[in-house]
Amino acid sequence: MAEIFVLAEHREGELREITFEMLGAAKYLGKDMGATVTAVLLGHDVDTYAEKLGSYADTVLVVDDPKLDYFNAEIYQKVLSKLISDKNPVVTLIGHTAFGMDLAPALAVELGLPLATDCIGLEVDGGKLFVTRQIYSGKVNAKVSLKGDQYMVTIRSAAFPVEEGTLSGEIVKEAVAIEDVPYRKFIGYEEAPAGEVDITQADYIIGIGRAIGDPENIPMVEELAEALGGVLACSRPVVDKNWLPKDRQVGSSGKIVKPKLYLALGISGAFQHVAGMKDSGLIVAINKDPKAPIFNVADYGIVNDLFKIVPVLKEKITELKG
Amino acid sequence: MDFELNEEQKDIANAAREFAQGEFDKDYAMECDQEHKFPRELVKKAGQLGFIGVHYEEEYGGAGLGALENTLIVEEMCRVDSTLGICMALPDFGCEIIKWCGTEEQKKKYLPKVCSGEWISAGIFTEPDHGSDITEMSTTAVKDGDEWVINGTKTFITNGEIADFGVILVQTDPDANPKYRGMSTIIVEKDCWEAADVGPKMGIRSTSTAELSFSDARVPLENLIGVENKGFYQVLEFFDESRIEIAAQALGTAEAAYDRVMDYIKQRELHGRKLASFQITQHKIADMATKIEAAKLLVYKSAWNYDKERKIDPVLTSMAKWFAARTAVEVADEAIQLFGGYGYITDYEVERIYRDAKICEIYEGTREVQKNTIASGVIGKF
Amino acid sequence: MEIVVCVKRVPDTSEADVVITGKDIKKDDLAFEINEWDNYAVEEAVQIKEKLGGNITVISVGDEEAKEVIRRGLAMGGDTGIRIDHPALAGSDSMAIAKTLAAAIKDIDYDLVLTGAQAGDLGAGIVPVALAEMLGVPHATLAVGLDIEDGKAKVKRELEGGLMEVLEMDLPAVVGVQTGINEPRYVSIMGIRKASKKEIKLLDISDLGLLPKDVGEEGSLTVIEELSVPPVTKVAEILEGDPAEAASKLAEIMKEKGVL
Repeated sequence: MAEIFVLAEHREGELREITFEMLGAAKYLGKDMGATVTAVLLGHDVDTYAEKLGSYADTVLVVDDPKLDYFNAEIYQKVLSKLISDKNPVVTLIGHTAFGMDLAPALAVELGLPLATDCIGLEVDGGKLFVTRQIYSGKVNAKVSLKGDQYMVTIRSAAFPVEEGTLSGEIVKEAVAIEDVPYRKFIGYEEAPAGEVDITQADYIIGIGRAIGDPENIPMVEELAEALGGVLACSRPVVDKNWLPKDRQVGSSGKIVKPKLYLALGISGAFQHVAGMKDSGLIVAINKDPKAPIFNVADYGIVNDLFKIVPVLKEKITELKG
Repeated sequence: MDFELNEEQKDIANAAREFAQGEFDKDYAMECDQEHKFPRELVKKAGQLGFIGVHYEEEYGGAGLGALENTLIVEEMCRVDSTLGICMALPDFGCEIIKWCGTEEQKKKYLPKVCSGEWISAGIFTEPDHGSDITEMSTTAVKDGDEWVINGTKTFITNGEIADFGVILVQTDPDANPKYRGMSTIIVEKDCWEAADVGPKMGIRSTSTAELSFSDARVPLENLIGVENKGFYQVLEFFDESRIEIAAQALGTAEAAYDRVMDYIKQRELHGRKLASFQITQHKIADMATKIEAAKLLVYKSAWNYDKERKIDPVLTSMAKWFAARTAVEVADEAIQLFGGYGYITDYEVERIYRDAKICEIYEGTREVQKNTIASGVIGKF
Repeated sequence: MEIVVCVKRVPDTSEADVVITGKDIKKDDLAFEINEWDNYAVEEAVQIKEKLGGNITVISVGDEEAKEVIRRGLAMGGDTGIRIDHPALAGSDSMAIAKTLAAAIKDIDYDLVLTGAQAGDLGAGIVPVALAEMLGVPHATLAVGLDIEDGKAKVKRELEGGLMEVLEMDLPAVVGVQTGINEPRYVSIMGIRKASKKEIKLLDISDLGLLPKDVGEEGSLTVIEELSVPPVTKVAEILEGDPAEAASKLAEIMKEKGVL
């Protein structure tokens, strides 16, 4: 029977959420394709992961080796290319994460497989796989076909829901000889320097985006944050420009936050940012562009220049708080 | 005929726009406007990147380019922000006289520092009693040993309070008949004058405009620029070139208003319809777009013509300056109308752009003076 | 150091209305610019060259208009340009573009290839990693830090959740650059003047030993079939009125919802 491979992603003692999202997507894809789902787990001393994955997959294929302790794109590529060549899965799903982005394209080249990245939808039509991915700043969905009969797809984080794990998949250990990899060496993880504020603990967060325009405008927003009793956070461009430190960044490459109130000021709502704040209690967006995707995440919105709203909003809030 | 900019010219316009978009902040512009503040640091940055004085030779700190390239930079900067943009255009004011008529020593001493944004110059021509008419000067320079002794008062001097030096037009032969045959230009440094701000202005409030008084100010004889008693002609030719720059300022300012109003009409809804869907809006926009296009053709042509072996055509440059300035005022005016009440509020910028636009019809020769020039060119003397 | 930087000219759709026409969007009214990630890659190359000396080749696959972003790279400090153009390239997916780039880069005696980690238009993030595999050299993408020392590249890769992976690899290598790795400089007038004297070589795919069937839709394993506007799953309730009214409504709602 045909197989769908899902590459389990783990880091620092934890299976990452994307793994379960992919396994959920693979379950439906498997039904449409008449294929079973195999979770592929590479690592060292990962029995607990394997057990957990067993609830979500028909089979858990484990390669346990000290060399796989840390993610190293080169070593992972070698092991995976061997497994895929041997087992010929019809589809291989990998997370469109820092880990998957560093691995999937090289693996696809090596194996000569069609690769579609950052996908948010999967469908099977006439036995062929079609994926949906977003292009042009998330403003357009593209339906993409993949040639041939064996595919590789990377999946966007938070694009698929996690399904309840009801299976009891068989755990199969596979030994793959790993030769020394001369090129690339994992040295370690480095935490972004911690600041004085932990935004993940805040109940009220004001997120600012590129539209803040200038670091000199930040104090004005800080005043609003103070009036609210909240903290300032931001989207990626603000950190890229060094206007706020990295530990204030909300989004997939920053922090995931779930405050009671998230007030997005001049944030367009790129999916990377949304991934970090979509589960907040009340989401309010203020943006000049009525078509900004943030309005599809927010509960309430004001279409206006943030600089016009912030000062009056601060007054109103101070007033109402008495 | 070829109406296309070449690759280098396109790159220059792009670079100027990227710089302005990256560095000009709306709130800072409003602050400069409200507090009469000159953006000194921005000018230094622009100078370091070569945006000031591209039309000077490379050996004097410029880029060896022409009036057209300078036009593109000034246009783009003013388009992004009319208040800050003009501050990037004026620091070399008057220096073209040194460029065309100065000695090697004068060029080496002054031009590179201006082009790099370190120094700011002033064109010290206008007098309280004579206005735009420079055929007569009350300010005098008299030789005393190896020095000129300068006395008199100049007014409406752009950069007056912030300039490091300037080029002054003075009467050196009081007996000349007509008087303008006895004028010369001389380089004066900032310790020569007392400056007093002329007071709050309607627009371009980020620039300095001052009255300068000279009382027995002494400068070496070698500060004379070019031939003695030829100053009037030098300044006239200078205006022919600088008019193009002001026309570029006007063009960019018109586009600034146009860009803001285009954003607004596509967003603003009235009775459930976008402002842009009303025919009256569409006609206003059609008028603005046409006037801007016509102004652009005139301004570019006058710059292009000037760069062709420095061919001076006062009729063409006056047409460009007059028409672009009128366009800026009209487009900004209509932009305010389309914004309605919001247009009258500082936050929406168009009122500031309108105020900034108006100067283009006043300085470097009022629109009436431009029309005199055009008329005498096309009709002749009557 | 012999550095190759790959750049792409893309439409800026971040604040524009996007209109779908067939299998692409209408691009007439859009402003084009260098792909933001590539701009950081160019800056990184220039900083490395300023520190270690060397030569930078700026390369792009694209039509006549793509020259603009190559010239921009040259104005920032690149030395020579290469533009690859051929009608058959239309419809190429990211893999086919990587194949084209690899065919051109393999003839250069390079130490380091820099690309943006992804592009703002298609956002596939395939090119740097695929290119490295095709060239047979190591890679790292999403680099937010890069140090070159003793023939090795020390790279900091950005992972999720504010964590970075530090790794080391031998040169030659390909590095995919993430935004924020540096502060890209402005293009200066002096840079533009110098760039206008630098050569931009034009290569056809046949110069690279490729056939029309190797690129374009035929040479790609993925094909865009259909474009659509993303379905709206949720729409915020928009608070109307002038700033004071809207702010006042919002404050009331916040109070009502118990977040004040």
